Amino acid sequence: MSAQDVQRPLWLDRAGLQGLLDALAARGYRTLGPRVRDDAIVYDDVSHVDQLPEGWGDEQSPGRYRLRRRADTRLFGHVVGPHSWKRYLHQPEVTIASTTDGVRWSAPEASAEKLALLGIRACELAAIRIQDRVLLGGPFTDPHYRRRREDVLFIGVNCTEPGGTCFCASMNTGPRHRLGHDIALTELDDGFVAEAATESGRQLLAAAGATPAPTSAVGSATAAVDAASGRMGRQLELDGLALVLASNLDNPIWDEVASRCLSCANCTLACPTCFCSTTVETSELSGPGASRVRKWDSCFTADFSRVHGGNFRPATRDRYRQWMTHKLSSWYEQFGTSGCVGCGRCITWCPTGIDITREAQRIREAPMHDSRETAARIQANKLLLAAGPTAPPPTCRPSLEDGSMVPVPARVRAVNAETADTFTLKLELENAADRQRFGFEPGQFNMLSLPGVGECAISISSSPANHGQLAHTIRAVGSVTRALQSLTTGSIIGLRGPFGSSWPLESARGKDLLIVAGGIGLAPLRPALYSVMADRQAYGRVQLLYGARTPEDMLFARDLLTWSAAANGIEVQVTVDTAGPDWTGRVGVVTTLFKGLAPAPAASTIAMLCGPEVMMRFSVRDLLKLGLAPRDIHVSMERNMKCAIGFCGHCQYGPHFVCKDGPVFPLSAVEHTFWKEGI
Amino acid sequence: MTRPRLGVFKFASCDGCQLTLLDCEDELLAIDAAVDIAYFPEARRLALQGQFDVSIVEGSVSAPAQLQELLDIRKRSRFLVSIGACATAGGIQALRNLADSDEFVRAVYAAPEYIRTLATSTPIAAHVPVDFQLRGCPISKTHLLELIVSLLRGRRPQLPDESVCVECKRRGIVCVMVARGEPCLGPITHGGCGALCPDFRRACYGCFGPKESCNTPAIAARLRAQGRSGEQVAQLFEKFNVGSRPFKDEAARQRGDRS
Repeated sequence: MSAQDVQRPLWLDRAGLQGLLDALAARGYRTLGPRVRDDAIVYDDVSHVDQLPEGWGDEQSPGRYRLRRRADTRLFGHVVGPHSWKRYLHQPEVTIASTTDGVRWSAPEASAEKLALLGIRACELAAIRIQDRVLLGGPFTDPHYRRRREDVLFIGVNCTEPGGTCFCASMNTGPRHRLGHDIALTELDDGFVAEAATESGRQLLAAAGATPAPTSAVGSATAAVDAASGRMGRQLELDGLALVLASNLDNPIWDEVASRCLSCANCTLACPTCFCSTTVETSELSGPGASRVRKWDSCFTADFSRVHGGNFRPATRDRYRQWMTHKLSSWYEQFGTSGCVGCGRCITWCPTGIDITREAQRIREAPMHDSRETAARIQANKLLLAAGPTAPPPTCRPSLEDGSMVPVPARVRAVNAETADTFTLKLELENAADRQRFGFEPGQFNMLSLPGVGECAISISSSPANHGQLAHTIRAVGSVTRALQSLTTGSIIGLRGPFGSSWPLESARGKDLLIVAGGIGLAPLRPALYSVMADRQAYGRVQLLYGARTPEDMLFARDLLTWSAAANGIEVQVTVDTAGPDWTGRVGVVTTLFKGLAPAPAASTIAMLCGPEVMMRFSVRDLLKLGLAPRDIHVSMERNMKCAIGFCGHCQYGPHFVCKDGPVFPLSAVEHTFWKEGI
Repeated sequence: MTRPRLGVFKFASCDGCQLTLLDCEDELLAIDAAVDIAYFPEARRLALQGQFDVSIVEGSVSAPAQLQELLDIRKRSRFLVSIGACATAGGIQALRNLADSDEFVRAVYAAPEYIRTLATSTPIAAHVPVDFQLRGCPISKTHLLELIVSLLRGRRPQLPDESVCVECKRRGIVCVMVARGEPCLGPITHGGCGALCPDFRRACYGCFGPKESCNTPAIAARLRAQGRSGEQVAQLFEKFNVGSRPFKDEAARQRGDRS
């Protein structure tokens, strides 16, 4: 059979469509398609053409959806409804791990199903391709999505009557199926022009009894879809938009939109590309059993961006800005495509009718730039003009690959108090095989968990040379960290990891190092310092500037002394925010230590910083003044890390996931957002 | 290991929330094995005595004697949880806060001289420090179980502060506001009910109270644009959580603007 045969348009009347449904059933597919339910057209099981919404259409406008009776008997005379197909592929609730004894975690078998999606529109298929890229595009893949995605047939319908909130033509995703479908149907009054795009599609059409389509029908179908392109209810001018949004993060229009936004999350949950989720750990009343359930979540909820001590996006303005700039701007950098397919759901299903196309256009028409944003614009420009996604910072796969979602047991070897609220947890992986495989780079983190209590991201604070034995230095501030603090030697906890990027020790060889740490920020730098001390001659001058709240809060005092006292050691300077009369050292924030720095040979210095974001901002500002280049300044960022493998979206930071692309970033990769609040 | 002592207390309320504990039929034996239910007049005849690890308090403060009683409970309790719209916002009876309660007493009771009541119905947290709140009218059984489990495990209860819409969307319920024009408060209401009303094609009437970032002016503007008067919109907010600040203020704004 030639490719031409596959593409030759066929004709399917209504009996033929039933034949298609029967053929799908005979091949073991569960067919989902449009049905009228609860005043809307939703996607549900379809086995017979009578179940399809014959003669039903819909009216859509911002915040409003109504079914309407059509004058004809078309089956697909509607556009996209309240549900996207994602609920069948990226399901609203999935159990991702469970344990019965609190020690051994296992992943439940991912559920697979042969699915045929009947009536899927071109924009919706484009959305699935986007979710494929997010959830299967690596370096990790979501096993649950992968399983559900394995055997899906797409029986598409080309749109001939776009809805009031549609703008697929602007987004170049429709109205005609061009990519990824098995069959594309175009409905005419008396039947369908059917085009197979795959061998499966061809076989199904043959089984359904499709006949060659009359030339007149093919012409009518083509004309109807062509005409649809010009009748979109909405349009979005894409040219340069990503850049305009990226350089307007302080535009007052965000505040105005926030005055109408309910932060209810409807837009994100109706969106076919939004992929964010949260993980809820449930436990039984008694006994050690627990399980982790992944649920759809949204960047509009408060818990999404919350960490202990505050919320990175406290205001509705921050959340709306995050959502829209991600969809239309930073998504390109992150995934190489737009995050919007123009289906219009976020407009229709917004209870107050906020229209993404209108808000984007308003910002385009009233741009606001300050000088820093001009610089950011240039930076953003470089990033956006690069073909495809820019190369992310180096990431490391976890050495425990099959443990990316499922914890492995680790035994507590010691719990040592460091300061009044900080302790070091020494762990040894329980299984010999895990010990064998586990290795990490300085700057990486693990997810530590206690069944029924929860999980949190903790950087590794021990030497990478010390295989199998791991230390984490932790501030006891939340329920998980407090529970970890109260553990006794011999207890078992769960561990996933290691995750994230690492300090640039390799590329820093032969150069001077300037290491700046604030508070517990010294913990993720300690493995780097161990590595430097073990290979001291590989580096030039090494300086550590460390600031703590009080002398009593200072971490690793013994290490600091050892490192500075060693022959060919490192220069250590410390300062505290406040101190009693017996403190003879320096008092002041860590940036006061910069005053004593000789104008460094900037070109040969690599800076590595970790601490509170505000401390890093002030420090970076001074380092830039000293002449360091943004690519030579490395910062370790903190966000709410939940899945640690780039699926849940909680740690989204501009175009990056902090868990996967960070936590260590060169400033050049994050400069655009580094100076902003509410990101 | 001794079981934590649990007390269940009631102020002005219908008892529905505390009965949620008895509604935990399948889990009741496990709860009883895990905690010592030391005071629970609805379920067992035990005198009030001693200290409590956890006190679950239902109802609002609406009578003078209740104030003393509440202070006593607080002193006896390590951890105090207020449950339900009455205890967390004053309940439906907080409507009296907007009117003359003496007038109500005279109109309702044959012998008003026997009635000792306060002019207002107020939440527990208005009088004593509260460690945790469970919202709802009534509360959700799932929330109550999560509260008990989390207390036993020594962690923070996982009760996300998200809108009812999130629950609708996860369940695949079609939005009644957008598809039917129902006056739904779901978008600004704390989730937890599992989208009970929208599942029956009814508007959410806000029984779990305001969620965080509760933008009442924006939803009120939308409800007005759908053709409702200021009075009609005000009444939507004046229900079980009328005592909560965002709802009370929005009702007042809508009343002030009767156009």
